[in-house]
Amino acid sequence: MVYIDSWDDFVERSVQIFRDDPHSTRYVMKYRHCDGKLVLKVTDNRVCVKFKTEQAQDVKKMEKLNNIFFTLMVRGPDVDIAEVTGKEPAEQQVSKKGRGRRQ
Amino acid sequence: MVLLQPDPFLNELTNMYERTKEKGSVWVTFKRSSMKPKAKRKKLESAGEVIEYRCLVRATDAKKTISTSLAAKDYLRFQASYATVLKAHMNALKKRERKDKKKSAEGEKKAAADQNKPTSKPNP
Repeated sequence: MVYIDSWDDFVERSVQIFRDDPHSTRYVMKYRHCDGKLVLKVTDNRVCVKFKTEQAQDVKKMEKLNNIFFTLMVRGPDVDIAEVTGKEPAEQQVSKKGRGRRQ
Repeated sequence: MVLLQPDPFLNELTNMYERTKEKGSVWVTFKRSSMKPKAKRKKLESAGEVIEYRCLVRATDAKKTISTSLAAKDYLRFQASYATVLKAHMNALKKRERKDKKKSAEGEKKAAADQNKPTSKPNP
C-alpha cells in the first residue's frame, strides 16, 4: 500500500488515477473515532494511493477532495476541476434565481 | 446492501457515526457508475454515447451496508449535507496546537494503549 506524505501530491495522483480509468476508480474513506484516525484510499484495482492522518486540519482538506471527486464522477473526468470552488457559486446563483421565480 | 434515497442515506450515515463512537470504523466509498449491466452499457456505447453516469456512494460499519446513487442534479445538495455530517462527527482527530503539548501526549498514550490490545494470539 502506497502511503503518500504530501496532501497535494496525494490529490494530484488520485485525480490522475481517476482520469486514466474513470470507470474502475474508487475513492474510499475509513474513519475510526475511537483511534482518532482517518485513512483515504484511491485505487483503480491496479494502482493504489493512500493517505492517513490524525490531524483535524486534514478534515477540511478532505472535504475539498470530496467535492472534487463528486464533480469528477458526476460530470465526467474531462471536467476542469481547477475551479471546484469556482463552480459552486455559479450553481448557487442559478438556484437563487429559481427561488425568485417560484415566489 | 440497502439502496436508499440521498436523504435517508445521510440519516443512516449519521446513525453509523454515532454507533461507532466507542469502537469500530466507518468506511465510505465513492465510485462512478452508470448503474447498468456491462452488456447493456456496451450496446449503448456502440450505438451512441448517451450513458448517464451517476455517483455511487456506499457506507458500511462492518455490520450494515447502505448505499445511494447521485445524479448530476442531486450531487451539490448531497455534497453540502455530507460535509455537514462529516464535520459534526469527525472531532476525534488531534488539533495541531503547539501550546497544547499535554493534549497530544495524552493522544499518543491512547494510541499506544490501543496498539497493545490486538496483539493477543490464541495458544495452541
